[in-house]
Amino acid sequence: MNAVAGGVRWFLVPAGMAARRMIADRSGLVVAVFFYLLVSVTLSSLWRAAAGHQGSVAGYSADSLTWYAFAAEAAICGIAVRLVDEIGEEIATGVVTAEMLRPASVVGVRLATVLGRSLTLLGVLLVPGTALAWTIAGPPPGLGPMVALVLPAFALAVTINVIMQHVAAAASFWLRDIRAAWFLYQKLVFVLGGMLLPLEVLPDSLRTVASCLPFMAMAYVPARLAAGHPAPELLVVQAGWLVVAVALAVAVFAAGQRRVEVTGG
Amino acid sequence: MSDDGECGEAIRATGLAKRFGAAGRSVEAVSDLTVSVARGERVAYIGPNGAGKSTSIKILTGILRPTAGSARVLGLVPWRERRRLAARIGTLFGQRSQLWPDLTARQSFTMLAAIYGLGSAKERLRVAELGELLGATELFDAPVRQLSLGQRMRCELAACLLHDPEILFLDEPTIGLDLLAKQRLRDLLVHLNGTCGTTVFLTSHDVADIEHVAERVVIINAGRVIHDGAVAALRRDLLATKLVDVGLAGPAPTIDLPGVEVVEHNDTVLRLAVDTASVSIRAVLDTVLDRCEVSDISVVDPPLEQVIARVYTASSAGAPEDASTGSSGPVELPATDPVRVGRQG
Repeated sequence: MNAVAGGVRWFLVPAGMAARRMIADRSGLVVAVFFYLLVSVTLSSLWRAAAGHQGSVAGYSADSLTWYAFAAEAAICGIAVRLVDEIGEEIATGVVTAEMLRPASVVGVRLATVLGRSLTLLGVLLVPGTALAWTIAGPPPGLGPMVALVLPAFALAVTINVIMQHVAAAASFWLRDIRAAWFLYQKLVFVLGGMLLPLEVLPDSLRTVASCLPFMAMAYVPARLAAGHPAPELLVVQAGWLVVAVALAVAVFAAGQRRVEVTGG
Repeated sequence: MSDDGECGEAIRATGLAKRFGAAGRSVEAVSDLTVSVARGERVAYIGPNGAGKSTSIKILTGILRPTAGSARVLGLVPWRERRRLAARIGTLFGQRSQLWPDLTARQSFTMLAAIYGLGSAKERLRVAELGELLGATELFDAPVRQLSLGQRMRCELAACLLHDPEILFLDEPTIGLDLLAKQRLRDLLVHLNGTCGTTVFLTSHDVADIEHVAERVVIINAGRVIHDGAVAALRRDLLATKLVDVGLAGPAPTIDLPGVEVVEHNDTVLRLAVDTASVSIRAVLDTVLDRCEVSDISVVDPPLEQVIARVYTASSAGAPEDASTGSSGPVELPATDPVRVGRQG
C-alpha cells in the first residue's frame, strides 16, 4: 500500500498543492464564480427565450436548457488557466528544459498541477451554479440517479479538456506563436463541444462531425446528462476520449522534447 | 560492482559532437569533446560565449542527444537514461529557477521531494539539514517571488541538493549576485564537496568562481577542449609574465631590462610586467633594489582573467598546422590541440 502511495505521490502532491493554492486565491475564485454565473445566466436566459413559455428546443425544455447552460459553462470555466499560453511561454523561455531534468514525466507533473487547480475550481463553481440553476429552473431532471452520472462526467470533461489543451499547447515546440491555435481550439470547444448550444441544435452534418471529435466530451456530455437525458453510454465515450487524449499528450510531448533536442533547448 | 563506470569516474565523455540545424546550414556547437571528471572533483568548465559549454552540459544531463561520440555520467548514458540520471544529479542554472514562484521554498521542496520519490520523513530531515547548512531556514517559509536574488539562490541550491545528488552541474550559479552572496555560495560549494564528496561541475564567466571553487579547469573553445589542468598550474605554466609591484620611498628609477615593461609609474608606485622567459625575477628585484629606495615590494601572478584570455588568444591564433584544420564551430576561431598542464583529464 505504501509502495502504491509512494508510486503516485509525484502526481498527488503537485495536484494537492495546486488545489490548496486555488482555494487560497479567494479573490481569483470570486472573479471566476462571478464570471461563470454571469455567462450562465445570460446563456440560459437566451435559451429560455428561444424555447418560449411551454415550448422546447431540439427536445430540451426551457428548464432543461437552463441546466444545460449552467453545466456546460461549469465544465469549461472549470479550467483554471489559459494553459496553451502558459505552456507556450514555458517552452519558449526554456523552462520546459528544467522540467526535463527531473526524474518524472514532464507532462505528468504538469497535468497533476493543472488538474488539481481545475477540479477544485470546478467544485467551487458547481455549488453556486447548482443553487442558481435550481432557483431559475427548479430541481434538475432525474435528480438522484443523474448525479451519479453527472459528477464523473464533469470530472472526465475537465480532465479531457486539460489534456487536450496540453496537446494543443505542444505546438509551441514547433511554432513561435500559437495564439492562432489557441483561438481555433477555443472556438471548436464553444461550438462543436456544445458549450454555447446543445449539439442537437446543429445541422445534421455538423452534428456528425462534432460527434466524432473530442470536444463534445468536454462540455456536451456533462451538460446533456445534467439536462436530464439519461445516457450512461456517454461516459464510455468520454473514457475512450480520455485514453486517446493521454496517448496523444504523451506522444506529442515526447516528440516536442526531441524537438528541443534538435533546436538545442 | 557498481554501474558507475571505471575508476570511480563521475563523468566521461569521448569524442562528443553536436551539430544543430539542417545539412548544409548546420552549426557544430560541440566538436570532438573528450573530458573526464573523477568523483569528488571540483571542475570549472569555461569558455567564451558560444564555445559549447551549455550544449555540452545539456548533453551530459540528458537534455540533448549528441550527433557523435559517447558519454557516461555516473555510469549512465545521459540521453538514454535521463530520468534515472536526473535522480542522481543536481542542476543549478543561475538564470533559470526550479522553484515555483507562487509557493514558498518549503512547498517547492515538498513538490520536488514527491517528484524525486523522497518520503515525507526524509524530506523533513533533509530540509532541516539544508536549512542549517545554507543558513536559510528562515527563508524557506517566504513565497519565492518575495526573496531577493541571493536568498533565492540559496533556496535554489537547497532544492538541487534535496535528493542528495552525487554530481552538481552548475551553470553560472553566481550570475546577478552581490559580492557577499557570491562568496557565500562559493564557500558552500567547497564545503559540500569537502563534507559530502559531491562532484562539482561548474561553468561561469566569473573568474572568482573558478579561483575559489575549482581545483581543475577545463577550457573549451569552438566546441573542443583547449586546456585541461589544475587552476594553479594554469597561471604558473601558461603565463610567464609576473607583476612586480614596487612601493617607492624615493625618486623613481629607470628600469631598462629586456623583458620588463613598465605598466604603471608615478611618485609612489612602480608596476612592472616581467616576462620570466627573458629575464629572471631575481635580476629584476636586484635592479630595482639597487636603483631606488623601496618601501614595499611584491611579486604577484596576473589576474586569472588575463591567463584565460591568453589561452583564448592562443587558441585564436593557433599553430600553423592547427590553423589549417579550422573549426566550423560557432566561434570563428581555429581549434588547437588541448594544452595539458598538471593533472590530465
